[in-house]
Amino acid sequence: MKRYILKRLFLLVPTLIGITLITYMIVRFTPGDYTSLRLDMQMGLKTTAASKEILDQERRLYGLDKPWYVGYMDWLGKFCTLDFGTSRKDGRPVSERIGDALPITLALNLITMLIVYVISIPLGIAASVKKDSLFDRVSSLALFILYSLPTFWIALLLLMFLSSGEYLNLFPLGGITSDTMTGAGFFPLAGDAAWHLVLPVITLTYGSFAFLSRYTRANMLEVINQQYITTARSKGLSEPRVIMVHAFRNSLIPLITLMATLLPGLLGGSVIVESIFSIPGMGMLAFEAILARDIPVIMAIEAISALLTLGGILIADLSYALVDPRIRLETKI
Amino acid sequence: MQRPGEPDGVTDLSRFGFCVSLLTAFFCACAGGVSSRGADELYAYLSAEPDTLNPVISSDAYSAEINSHIYETLLDMDLDTLGRKPDLAERWEISPDHRRYRFFLKKGVLWSDGVEFTADDVVYSFKVIKDPKTANAHRKVNYLDITEVRKIDRYTVDFIYSKEYYLGLEICGGMTIIPRHLFNDGADINTHRNNRLPLGTGPYRFTEWVTGSRIVLERNERYRDRKPAIRKIVYRIVAEPSVAFLMLKKGELDFMSVRPIQWVRQTGSGKFLRSFNKFQYFTPNYSYIAWNSRRPVFSDARVRRAMSRLINLEAILEKLLFGLGKRVNGTFYFYSKYYNSDISPIEYDPAGAMALLKQAGWADTDGDGFLDRNGRKFSFTFTISSGSKFAERLGTIMKEDFRKAGIDMEINRYEWAVFVQKLNSRDFDAVTLSWSLGYNEDPYDLWHSSQMEAGFNFVGFRDAEADSIMERGRREFDEARRTALFRRLDRIIYREQPYTFMFCSPALVVVSKRFGNVVVHRAGLDTDEWTIAGDR
Repeated sequence: MKRYILKRLFLLVPTLIGITLITYMIVRFTPGDYTSLRLDMQMGLKTTAASKEILDQERRLYGLDKPWYVGYMDWLGKFCTLDFGTSRKDGRPVSERIGDALPITLALNLITMLIVYVISIPLGIAASVKKDSLFDRVSSLALFILYSLPTFWIALLLLMFLSSGEYLNLFPLGGITSDTMTGAGFFPLAGDAAWHLVLPVITLTYGSFAFLSRYTRANMLEVINQQYITTARSKGLSEPRVIMVHAFRNSLIPLITLMATLLPGLLGGSVIVESIFSIPGMGMLAFEAILARDIPVIMAIEAISALLTLGGILIADLSYALVDPRIRLETKI
Repeated sequence: MQRPGEPDGVTDLSRFGFCVSLLTAFFCACAGGVSSRGADELYAYLSAEPDTLNPVISSDAYSAEINSHIYETLLDMDLDTLGRKPDLAERWEISPDHRRYRFFLKKGVLWSDGVEFTADDVVYSFKVIKDPKTANAHRKVNYLDITEVRKIDRYTVDFIYSKEYYLGLEICGGMTIIPRHLFNDGADINTHRNNRLPLGTGPYRFTEWVTGSRIVLERNERYRDRKPAIRKIVYRIVAEPSVAFLMLKKGELDFMSVRPIQWVRQTGSGKFLRSFNKFQYFTPNYSYIAWNSRRPVFSDARVRRAMSRLINLEAILEKLLFGLGKRVNGTFYFYSKYYNSDISPIEYDPAGAMALLKQAGWADTDGDGFLDRNGRKFSFTFTISSGSKFAERLGTIMKEDFRKAGIDMEINRYEWAVFVQKLNSRDFDAVTLSWSLGYNEDPYDLWHSSQMEAGFNFVGFRDAEADSIMERGRREFDEARRTALFRRLDRIIYREQPYTFMFCSPALVVVSKRFGNVVVHRAGLDTDEWTIAGDR
């Protein structure tokens, strides 16, 4: 087991280098760079030799005159010392910008995931136990209807009816804290933040129930038809015990695969939800960085999510062995 | 350069029923909307976050808006006459050869931290702008021809031009001044801490920037002139315009510019008009369709004139922009004296267009329904920036109208950065864009043939007379003579139709009735003169 983990950790390095290298190349070879984009939109580009010189000067300032592999090596060297560089947009360290956005996204995603798991898994179990019953059909229909509703539309409807004051005035129209809350104590602040998060969380969750509950249901159905379930029943175990202990535990294995997407999923933000609810999270940060060709920011976010994805996959693989002793990791590589 | 205006709005959601049961009781207690807001506070709308608040480096309109309250320049534009008036300088002298601009600074002007503003700040600001280590290429290009800014004494500075230029006074007088005593500490200017903590001489001082949420300014009590009545300005950063509009209606914003559809459909109710005043004014901007004259199909002016006749601009203005816009015929701001108002707009005239096309050799000889010339079909690609709904709809209308005339048009969409790249490499047949220009814009960058290769003359407009007019215009200091020159230039451009000129779009602004004395000047609104009309 130890050897396996070491091996896997060792393999992380080339994979990570591969991912960041490809990302870097894509970013560098995409048309446009920060300086020229800014120039073009500013209506200041003149064709004299002097202005070309100015343009080149600024590119040199940010190492864009060097070939891409030199640029990548520079970036990699700094990345190894955990230096993400400074953002082109506002001249702040990238780590500071991510530090601003990450807690917000993390909080939002943790709450969302918790709600999605707590609601979807029991729903899935219930649906599998009462397969093809009215409950199964109605719940799956309802979940799929929710799944199909476009986020931006629901988000605007929620704001319009629950926040605008024209119908109801229950929630704020976006943001993450009230202007007046600076200097308030922990509990008022937390309450205020929770109040701001209600609508974004609803928007982020409602569409996610369908997938997880159907997934749980399918896995449960597979297990329920196994002979050991029949055995458990014939031993005279109570039905809840059969379902929760014998069936559900065994249906967890495929759910572990989802774990791999959990970690990077915590970090990613939804651009639509963030822009509608004015939430300065990771989604907007990444989106704006890509549009503006803010290379240090793009690379940092990309590298972190690559790392988390790889970590997530590793954890998922290790958990397989924990949950199911039949899986032997040593032979897997 | 701008993407064409986005005249499209939110879906009207009110007819959809919506059931509310969720958490109602629980949260009723918490909701209160805006609380404890002073009457003398202005809540304004910002649709995106500024990059930095250092005016020497920043490039976007959002930082320009905020910095305009904090930082000042030597001269200011009079909002009505559009001429220059003293700001940090009390008067100025121009040498007879138009190479030296001498400014006499006001004495006793204080930065908002109490340090006196002097000639050293001016010299330092210029030095920073020109410094190769400053990442502000977009600003440096404006100061290429200024060789030196020289301190004569504590309150006098000279700007030295390497050649005469009719906009020299405007450029020197418009240079932003940053405080030397804060920035000149050896730190890198691009990442300087004061880029997010601006400090100026203007009527407001910076108090707070909550990333992604708001930027707050408070009145600068050290300001030398009459202090504005509004004590505090809060800029709320709201990415989604339809949400900002909900905020406006709820009273969380006092001041925002709205989109045409909102102006026409959503700001007309009695309830709305009881709380808000609506204002409309025109800034120098126009939208256009540009024909790349390097392409064989558009190299003939007759073809370009025909294209303009095939586009029903009146109908497009009505349909896509709700009639909110003015049709323009030329490149100058239509309120300026350079704009040639004797030119009448090209009307929608398919028959006339067909005649012009025929003269240019285009006819349907093989009977396939498309025009052809020398065996080649009349076909071109209309390149637009993806996400621009105006361009998208305009393209659809054009495609249909051109099809009727026997012209085949494809629409190609590119992300903005790629679109700009296409423009720079001159790799397009036709595009639509809009220019947002200065009140007194030099036409040289847009139209001189020297700008064909790499500058903004991406259509490849070249005309010997126009070139000589623009060269003479740059050195012409007599207002009347320059006006005659530029009006002639407008005539030439009109004749050549490198663009199909479309519309100048108005600024559509909504202001809370809590504020009085909201005067619409030729160049827009000035919050410094607003009064507090009383509580709502």
